[in-house]
Amino acid sequence: MNNNNIYIYNDTFLKLLSLINFLIKNHIKPLNIKSKTYKGNLFDNIINLNIKEDPKLLSNIKTNLGNNILKIMYYVYLSSEEYKELYIYYFYLNSLKYGPKVIYKRNLKCVNLSLKISKYVSNEAHKLKGFVRFQELDNHFLYSVITPTNNVISLLASHFKKRLPNENWLIHDKKRGILCLSTKNKLYFINDEELKLNVKEKETADFYTDLWCTFYKTIAIKARKNERCRANFMPKKYWQNIIEMSMNK
Amino acid sequence: MELKEKLIILADCAKYDASCSSSGSTRSNNKGLGNAAYSGICHSFSSDGRCISLLKILMTNCCIFDCKYCLNRKSNNIKRATFTPEEICSLTLNFYRRNYIEGLFLSSGIIKNPDYTMNLLIETISLLRHKYHFNGYIHAKAIPGASVSLLKKLGSLVDRLSANIELPTASGLKLLAPNKNSNEITNIMSYVKNNQSRNFTPAGQSTQMIIGATNETDLDIMQKSHSLYQNYKLKRVFYSAYIPVNTDKYLPSITIPPLKREHRLYEADWLLRYYGFKVSDILDESNPNFNLLVDPKADFALRHLNEFPKEINEASYFDLLKVPGIGVTSAKRIISSRRYFTITFNDLKKMGIVLKRAKYFITCNHRYFIDKSLFKKEFLESNLILENKSLTSPKVNQLSLFE
Repeated sequence: MNNNNIYIYNDTFLKLLSLINFLIKNHIKPLNIKSKTYKGNLFDNIINLNIKEDPKLLSNIKTNLGNNILKIMYYVYLSSEEYKELYIYYFYLNSLKYGPKVIYKRNLKCVNLSLKISKYVSNEAHKLKGFVRFQELDNHFLYSVITPTNNVISLLASHFKKRLPNENWLIHDKKRGILCLSTKNKLYFINDEELKLNVKEKETADFYTDLWCTFYKTIAIKARKNERCRANFMPKKYWQNIIEMSMNK
Repeated sequence: MELKEKLIILADCAKYDASCSSSGSTRSNNKGLGNAAYSGICHSFSSDGRCISLLKILMTNCCIFDCKYCLNRKSNNIKRATFTPEEICSLTLNFYRRNYIEGLFLSSGIIKNPDYTMNLLIETISLLRHKYHFNGYIHAKAIPGASVSLLKKLGSLVDRLSANIELPTASGLKLLAPNKNSNEITNIMSYVKNNQSRNFTPAGQSTQMIIGATNETDLDIMQKSHSLYQNYKLKRVFYSAYIPVNTDKYLPSITIPPLKREHRLYEADWLLRYYGFKVSDILDESNPNFNLLVDPKADFALRHLNEFPKEINEASYFDLLKVPGIGVTSAKRIISSRRYFTITFNDLKKMGIVLKRAKYFITCNHRYFIDKSLFKKEFLESNLILENKSLTSPKVNQLSLFE
């Protein structure tokens, strides 16, 4: 049943999935699905069903469709695509129809797009695993600022949790105002308005940052200079947060 | 000498080593600092476009050898420096914590004798592993001529242990690196190959050779690489275009490194390892060097036009891989998708398969992308080499069908 309603969900992945699951079960094809921050315009029919989180839903999807399908939907959810909720809706609908093999049906637009978007998100997360730069604060906390296109902070957090278990670190997504704090090997996600952050941007770079920038300049072979190749691998949108690029300017 | 000055000297000498891969190891965190990422992670890219994932330095640039092509040869009058083990540890750990690097790449000039140098490397790396509990990636260079017991010790501490073959032929090595012995290098390789396990160089070994310093043909080089892959199970052979840093009567007098040739060698190297090509498919005696205008795969296709065009819905995996523009990912995607639907040009585009060159060599559902009578060598050549748009422009309307 098609209708012209825009359905609202409460901003978490599980709430979105529960809503989509409800819509599919009741054969409702929505015009759009949006998070609760969606303002809408005069002619939109905005409906908030307040669907409760279904705690069994995730494990049901895992057993029936497999981890991979769930992962694709989660990655699409993390993207900044305008219609990502609709893509997830149709991707989920088709997964129920075709099972785990749905990922091979790339001739379906929603499958093709979902796979593309989830790849884009995982690629960006992978790149940022390398491009995150921590600076050491006075209290030995490691602090890093990122401004990624997609909301990859949760993916980065699990990577650094395994890698730096004994360190206290903060990753700050300034674009979305989300902070991820790891202390005593526990992760906390905080809205940056809630936590008054008093980061003293040091006037002079610390000893090792200076050494790193020196190393970076030294390691390049002048006879092979290739700026375009560098920009291909390390897109300029990330340079503002990569210390050796912003310092050497 | 200050640490910064040492770093400049010893990074400057190490930068000609091409390998910077950090993949292949699954070393996990052991309540210390760091772990290894199986896929490898690039942390930065230098202005020459090469990735920086490891802190690539020499232990020392003092060397008793006199290799003609090397900046550190003993007859060169340059500034010499040596890191202490603690200095290397503090650089590695502090860079790693700030996420600048994925680990350490440690090589060294040879001081006193090979065993002495090797012991210095072992001392440094075992400090990192045991005192500081560092679990990041470490790639060490084995010193040719060092004893087997030291190889064993070093290999059990690092993720990758490698030795550079330096030049494609033993005669070249004799000419340009008179102190090195090709047997000593291959001995290291066979030792690593025979002992590789989870606890001994889990990420395997690689090697490197300089291209263009001696007068081998590309065929010689490819045959050498092929035998290296066969005999020593190398993960990679790196090719390094010769960059003149010294002048010597035995060295060629060039100013621009042969980068295009290096690029073709890498392309052919991939064809050998992942695409099921044989050296004889790519080069032969009558045709011993690469065509610099087209890549080796397109060159192969143009020389074997009778095998093309391939039908996307029927061709086998390795036949698909022979199509210029279709790689491992694309071929797998085609194979897994075509069980569920018949693939058209439009679908290929949707699936993210790049048709820029592939379209000339395939049919979808027995249809060629333009009039099939145009499938002729001259037409394909001019499109691939010159990318001459005027030849295809009358067909633009039909091209747009799948754009």
